[in-house]
Amino acid sequence: MKSRWTLLAAGAVISLSLAGCGASGDAGSSSEGDGSIEVQTGLAVDSKLLGTLKEVTNSFQQANPNVKINLVPSTTTYEKDMKVRLASGNVPDIWWTHGWSRDRYSKFLLPLQNEAWAANFNPALSDAMKDDAGAFYALPIDTDIAGIIYNKDVLDKAGVNIADIKTWDDFDSAAAAVKAQGITPITVSGKANGPAGNLTDWIAPGAFSKDELAQLKKGTFVGDKYKTVLDLVAKWRDQGYFNPDYASAATTDMDHALAQGQAAFIFSQNNRVNNALQYSPNAHLGYMPIPSLTGGSGYLVGGEMNAYGISKTSAHAEDAKKFLAYLAEPANESKLAQSAGSAPGLTNATPNMGALQASYDQWMTQAKTTLVPYFDRVYLPNGMWNTVVTTTDSVITKQSSVDAALGQVESDFKSLYGQGK
Amino acid sequence: MHLSTNRLFNAVVGVVLLLAALIQLVPFYVAVTTAFKPVTDLSSQLVPPHELFLGNFLTALNQGNILRAVGNSILITVISTVLVCLLGSMAAYPLARRLTAVNKTVSLVIVGLIMVPPLSILVPLYTMMNQLHAINSYWGVIAVMVTGHLPLAIFLYSAFMRSLPLSIEEAATVDGANMLQILFRIIFPVLKPVTAPVIILSGVSIWNEFSLSGYLLAKPSVQTIAPAIGSFFSQQSSNLGAAAAASLIAVIPVLVAYLFLQKYFIKGMVAGAEK
Amino acid sequence: MPFLPAQQLRPRRTDVAETVITKPSPLPATKPPQPAGRRRRRGGLVNLLYVPALLLFAVFTVYPLISGVGLSFTNWDGYSPEKAMVGLANYTRLFSDDTFRMVLINTVVYGLGSTIFQQVFGLGLAMALDRPLRGRGAARAIIYLPVLVSPVIMGTMYYLLFGYNNGAFNDVVTFFGMDRVAWLSNSTASIAIIVAVNTLQFVGISMIIYLAGLQSIPSEYYEASMLDGARGWKQFTNITLPLLQPAFATSIVLNLIGGLKLFDVIKVMTGGGPGYSTNSVSTLIGVVYFDNQSAGYASAMGVVLFLMIVLFTLVLNSLLNRRRLEA
Repeated sequence: MKSRWTLLAAGAVISLSLAGCGASGDAGSSSEGDGSIEVQTGLAVDSKLLGTLKEVTNSFQQANPNVKINLVPSTTTYEKDMKVRLASGNVPDIWWTHGWSRDRYSKFLLPLQNEAWAANFNPALSDAMKDDAGAFYALPIDTDIAGIIYNKDVLDKAGVNIADIKTWDDFDSAAAAVKAQGITPITVSGKANGPAGNLTDWIAPGAFSKDELAQLKKGTFVGDKYKTVLDLVAKWRDQGYFNPDYASAATTDMDHALAQGQAAFIFSQNNRVNNALQYSPNAHLGYMPIPSLTGGSGYLVGGEMNAYGISKTSAHAEDAKKFLAYLAEPANESKLAQSAGSAPGLTNATPNMGALQASYDQWMTQAKTTLVPYFDRVYLPNGMWNTVVTTTDSVITKQSSVDAALGQVESDFKSLYGQGK
Repeated sequence: MHLSTNRLFNAVVGVVLLLAALIQLVPFYVAVTTAFKPVTDLSSQLVPPHELFLGNFLTALNQGNILRAVGNSILITVISTVLVCLLGSMAAYPLARRLTAVNKTVSLVIVGLIMVPPLSILVPLYTMMNQLHAINSYWGVIAVMVTGHLPLAIFLYSAFMRSLPLSIEEAATVDGANMLQILFRIIFPVLKPVTAPVIILSGVSIWNEFSLSGYLLAKPSVQTIAPAIGSFFSQQSSNLGAAAAASLIAVIPVLVAYLFLQKYFIKGMVAGAEK
Repeated sequence: MPFLPAQQLRPRRTDVAETVITKPSPLPATKPPQPAGRRRRRGGLVNLLYVPALLLFAVFTVYPLISGVGLSFTNWDGYSPEKAMVGLANYTRLFSDDTFRMVLINTVVYGLGSTIFQQVFGLGLAMALDRPLRGRGAARAIIYLPVLVSPVIMGTMYYLLFGYNNGAFNDVVTFFGMDRVAWLSNSTASIAIIVAVNTLQFVGISMIIYLAGLQSIPSEYYEASMLDGARGWKQFTNITLPLLQPAFATSIVLNLIGGLKLFDVIKVMTGGGPGYSTNSVSTLIGVVYFDNQSAGYASAMGVVLFLMIVLFTLVLNSLLNRRRLEA
């Protein structure tokens, strides 16, 4: 009994003193039920982008001492956190929309197309972020431009030249050459809810003709073409191109494998490159356009990654808009996009993509490669993303056949299209 | 001859125990090597670090604010655990001593409540806590932690109380003591042995709780230790080294508390087992 | 507080031990009716003592649970303001859902698997540590150590150890010239590994309970049986096992609860994959609720799970009672 009280007293003293220390901390941390603006950043507490965001926020607060900004870091459960917050009505003032500002969050967000900075909205983001009426719901910090990420050191070892990969057949021979070296051609995380879906999202835009894409948008499922996407994935599986630990690999394992030359290709957003470079700063990484299944020219996938929207119900909407406008100032936007390692989301900011600048110059500035939006976001009804992930996953793990997976996609497509649009 | 086979047997047992202890230390060894290596050190987990790299600990302390989280966790764990012991032992008394049909049903329901998975109540609970303005408040998370850990405490306390001889309580009743007097003067003083395991089991579980406290305490200033460690992992980046360092820092207070309570622990389990 | 002299009140170890021998289960049903009647005369006022606990349960567990029942009749996506009633559709879907059936089986495997291994190893370790060996205090503390760590951290460390490219186990495998093993890539192996990790983490609890039980068995019993010529295995089955019975009950209940509620280790080790094949019911509810955006369906799963828990508790309770009556 006595020991319990000793413990309690000790604990209370320690925690009170610590709480006291914490309260006088940095700008982004302390706020107790005051009128501060809560910004759910979705970023890890030590991430580079959060560091820059803190810096910019501090200078904003010096200019606007009456507005208090509270930057909140997050964990891998971010999407779940946001759903719980939205369901309960306890919505943050500003939050990271991670590619979903229109399809998932638009009914909770203020439209921002009338803001002053909206004139500089990167048109490459229009398909992904604007609705039919031209409204959009978040300030894009960056424009995600992604292709097939490769490790040049591995490809050199296998005698593969990136410039020679124009079709999926070329890709196939490259993968075979890599595999002959005893290295995994394509590494994917099956444990995380997403990377498997990226495979389909990356391949699919090249599997359909313009007319077929229009049909998809109107609610007609073009099954035979969707099947070609899953067939390609199944072929890679049968040829042993995927990492043997696919099912249990986490996204950090993708980063590690890419960094250490244990894999040649990953199909992912470019933030994986920045993570990989943390582990091996000297690795030679880049990205290349995605070949087309129908024989057209290669393309890159572009869309929303780091973007922030303002809650419709925020009590500080005007201040929140002021804050976003400050982030949108060219100097700040450039700095933030640079920390994210991608191209800015506004046209008046300067791109500086670090390690990926060479790839950007090669494919975007010089070759003017077509940029297509995330396939599921534009051509599939809202709510399909999870189906895209789980069906691709079931093909890779052989939990279901291509036909069974296709049937699942089709039935979800039909039922979700009926509910949604 | 008998003696020497006995000695041989003891030697075998000793080797097996040594092996078991080594196996249990492996994950801790990996945590330590991960915490003391920079992320660019890609050597095997089994290879000890070349030098004592402290960068991960600095990141954990400066950027992860681990000490503040430790403080929050100590506050919440201590208060919740004290309340669990108090309310648990109170509730267990009638359930152990007054065996009516109603009380038997109550006992059964309480055992059933142990099994409710936190996720299945998360959204309604969060909505209610929001209406009560209990999000990001200590009292809110303490109430939820106490509720979550009471069923097991009641289970252990009532099992223990049934093992106590009735004679003293009966004598006290004859002397005219009322229920509360009996509880406070006779029962509480002898509960020390079972309180040790209750403190350790609930305390450790509250300290490490992630699935609810991450939601109820989302602001960095009130965040507890498990979500604070989690915030080194996000959708876009992760820092395993800093997380390992933070985990090592987080385990120290529990370790100290355990060593402090350890001597009562086995005794408590003896009594608990003899219900 | 004016405590009575505690020494006088505390049940002395030998008293209790004798109680255990003569009346192995001092339980209501086996008690002579008279004291039970006397106890009842004390009146219901004492029940007030559990009212605070029940109030907490009502507000923070039962009310949210019941709200979940309402959601199970809707097609809610888990975050949008709008939802529509779909009647019993979620429940009919549940009964033809192969994934749910598979995951139920997994949950039972996690529960029973962890329980069985923890009893075997826990008892084995306890018997080993009951011997007068040097360093046994340290061994006890080390074997118990993982109990103090969060399952998320423990799971993460084992996840790293089982890693394909950089895991220590594969470093050992390749050291011996064999090919790397993708440890967590098929569901059977993954389930076995998850059970093993959970067992390693919590075997300390069973060990301590059995150690306590063993120490409460008076050595006279062993001495007496030695005179009758009983040794080793015979002593174990005739004295140790029967006298440990109350310890079994506590340990099994604790481990079964832990195994059936298993969540963090699964999330960290496999994320429920490949496919859905290593999920338990609690992890599947999370996946369906949040990833699949079928909160209504997930709520139906929660309701069915709760009904099964109630059923399970009733069965467990009657089983334990029957054992006590037989004893």
